[in-house]
Amino acid sequence: MHSPVNWAVLGLIIERPTYAYDLAQRFEHRYGTVLELSNVGHVYTAIRALEARALIEEIPGTREGRQPKPRYQATAAGLAQYREWLIRQAGEDRKRGQLFVLALQALAHEPQPLLEVMAGYEQAWLSEGMRTPITREPEAPPGSTRAFVEKLIDEEKRLAVGAKLEWIEYARTELAKLLAQMRRP
Amino acid sequence: MSLLELDNVHKHASDGPRQRAVLREVCLEVQAGELVVVWGMRRSGRSTLLRVAAGIERPDAGTVRFDGRDLAAHGKRLIGNEIGYCHKGLRFSDGHAALDHAMVGLLSRWVPTATARKRARVALERVGAGHCAERRQSELSSAEAIRVALARTLVLGPRLIVIDEPVNGVELIDRDSILALLRALADEGTAVLASTGESTGLSEADQALVLGGGELRGAPGPELAPVLTLKRDSAQRMSG
Repeated sequence: MHSPVNWAVLGLIIERPTYAYDLAQRFEHRYGTVLELSNVGHVYTAIRALEARALIEEIPGTREGRQPKPRYQATAAGLAQYREWLIRQAGEDRKRGQLFVLALQALAHEPQPLLEVMAGYEQAWLSEGMRTPITREPEAPPGSTRAFVEKLIDEEKRLAVGAKLEWIEYARTELAKLLAQMRRP
Repeated sequence: MSLLELDNVHKHASDGPRQRAVLREVCLEVQAGELVVVWGMRRSGRSTLLRVAAGIERPDAGTVRFDGRDLAAHGKRLIGNEIGYCHKGLRFSDGHAALDHAMVGLLSRWVPTATARKRARVALERVGAGHCAERRQSELSSAEAIRVALARTLVLGPRLIVIDEPVNGVELIDRDSILALLRALADEGTAVLASTGESTGLSEADQALVLGGGELRGAPGPELAPVLTLKRDSAQRMSG
């Protein structure tokens, strides 16, 4: 299963067994800034995909009544696979970094465009650093999950910015060396 | 007119028998009320840049202006008064407390002791170090020591504070409170020029810049910056 939306929906169901409309709302609240639902029906598609893989199941008896509202819960397999997927994200992050470098190779024969891309990439990361808020008194009550998650997100962003800025400096130095070597007869 | 302006500044350092370019064609403008942060790796020249900007070191070439005045001509009157270079490493005199340390600049300007004490207390309170007034240096945490250093600078009412690596060595738990203090000082109208070796210091800056290979590069604002065209000569220098 490749869709990050499906994995995100599975995570929301693991967190709290629920029905489709609630899932759509929680999805928007939780992941709105990083993942986009193409439409509300996207949640139903995700539910069907998760059910087909036996990662979630309908809670018996919740489809009955005048306004049936089937609720879903995660299966043991769903929980196990979700945990494995989370750990696999380390590899996904690394792949994204590699993708940038491999794509950059297309410009390696021309220093000027390459330097311009590096400058733009550096500015984008600097802007990310500037946008990362200073942690002040938490908006959420101390000890709440939300305050905890906000802190982790900000710190992850700061560390990523620092690592990227160092990498860009390294890349610039190595590029200068490469160009000097290429100039030699 | 910018509060601080570095125009085409060059600075070299002796690296054994060789001369190394620490700052090359550096241009920088700092406006009143801005928090400007320069990120750089070790030996990138970020401390040199700050000392040049504060008028403590002279550039080999180029001009540094404060409020339109050339620091080469007017530096002595501006440094320590309108420009406050925050010395984090200054040691308290033996037996003296944070309050005495914060008063030093005022006493050296012949401000009466009672007035100096009063103003130093206000400065300590402003930076969140009022509780440290009677403490010796050894009794301060790293964050408290920086607050006291800032109070010593702030007490002279500078329009620009220059501080090298304000969060270096500060415990993680106190780091953001120091950054929030610098942001607050800038919001109150005192421009702040800081350096950092870690990305933490970039948070909520009005300008974030990178110093590498002697060149100062940066993002012009908090929004995602457009890709700026590099100066042709800098590309040529790398490509030879």
